[in-house]
Amino acid sequence: MTFTHLTETQLDALKEISNIGMGHAATALSQMIGDTVHLRVPRITVSEIGAVPDLLGGPEKVVVGITLQVLGDARGNILLVFPRESVTLLLSRLVRKEFRESELDELSTSTLKEVGNILSSAYLSALGSLLHMTLIPSIPLLAFDMAGAVVDNILIELSEAGELALIVETDFWGDRPDQEPIKGHFLLLPDPHTLDVILEAVGGEG
Amino acid sequence: MTPQLRVGISELQVAQAPAELATFGLGSCLGIVLYDPGQKVGGLAHTLLPAPRQGREEARPSKFVSTAIGLMLEQLEELGAARERIWAKIIGGANMFESLHPSPEEGIGARNARCARELLAALGVPLLAEDVGGNYGRTVFFDLASGQVLVRSVRGGEKIITL
Repeated sequence: MTFTHLTETQLDALKEISNIGMGHAATALSQMIGDTVHLRVPRITVSEIGAVPDLLGGPEKVVVGITLQVLGDARGNILLVFPRESVTLLLSRLVRKEFRESELDELSTSTLKEVGNILSSAYLSALGSLLHMTLIPSIPLLAFDMAGAVVDNILIELSEAGELALIVETDFWGDRPDQEPIKGHFLLLPDPHTLDVILEAVGGEG
Repeated sequence: MTPQLRVGISELQVAQAPAELATFGLGSCLGIVLYDPGQKVGGLAHTLLPAPRQGREEARPSKFVSTAIGLMLEQLEELGAARERIWAKIIGGANMFESLHPSPEEGIGARNARCARELLAALGVPLLAEDVGGNYGRTVFFDLASGQVLVRSVRGGEKIITL
């Protein structure tokens, strides 16, 4: 299986399971911040590796990236990307902390890692029960830097297998009218072999 | 205004003064600069990995440190550069997620930088300056009129250094 040969049916199946997985993750986030969180799965992109930083707002955009490996019956990476403004909002709601926007202290770092952990675990457990697989997230790692630099580690790993990345992208946002929404990207980057396993499980034969 | 040419991930570009070459957001990727001060021609590559896997046909030589350097040298000579005048600078090769590798020397960033140093030494191309390693991202601006390389980082507030 190569990413370029995905059929419409297979893309729909991937979108559907991601919708369900992210639904669980959004519920978890809602409970954490005590507000409704909406989500959508706007895109499933098969993209040239080099184009991925642009999908995140450009290679120099300063973001917090939280990355986890997917372990178990399938392999891949999860990457959560929060723009700086959303990090400020998340931290002020979760730990009532002022964020000076240049460095993250230890409490802020571990809070954000925990957000990554909870979102990923909720997502993977929903995905796993749909696909009858055991999927476990590794411990989260965090970087607060340019988007290009934050993602290139994962892209390097993918690039050993080819020139393309399959990206399941999810946006989520809160809905208090009096407050700025919290925005973020949730990216699932399955490795090519894992994509076979997932497609087989959803029955979307090529 | 000086024309700026943007070099994307796994791409390389060569050009002549007064152009400026730039590549954005290097993490563990390695930026490689080659320059002939006599002709004021230079190249910039944004490489991902040290070398292609053995026995594998690779469509993109600019993705690898080992193949990008040779290709850039050839293209620079086509632009009139003299091989014996060409020098190099390298930038990037960070380890963005610190606990990803127990020892940073085994991380992909460090391996990229090591590969570049070894190959440049073997080719007899002097490595004039480097800004590699650490755990932060870098953006590179390479001015072909002066041969000056500016490296911008944003972690903990914006900083610019000159190589």
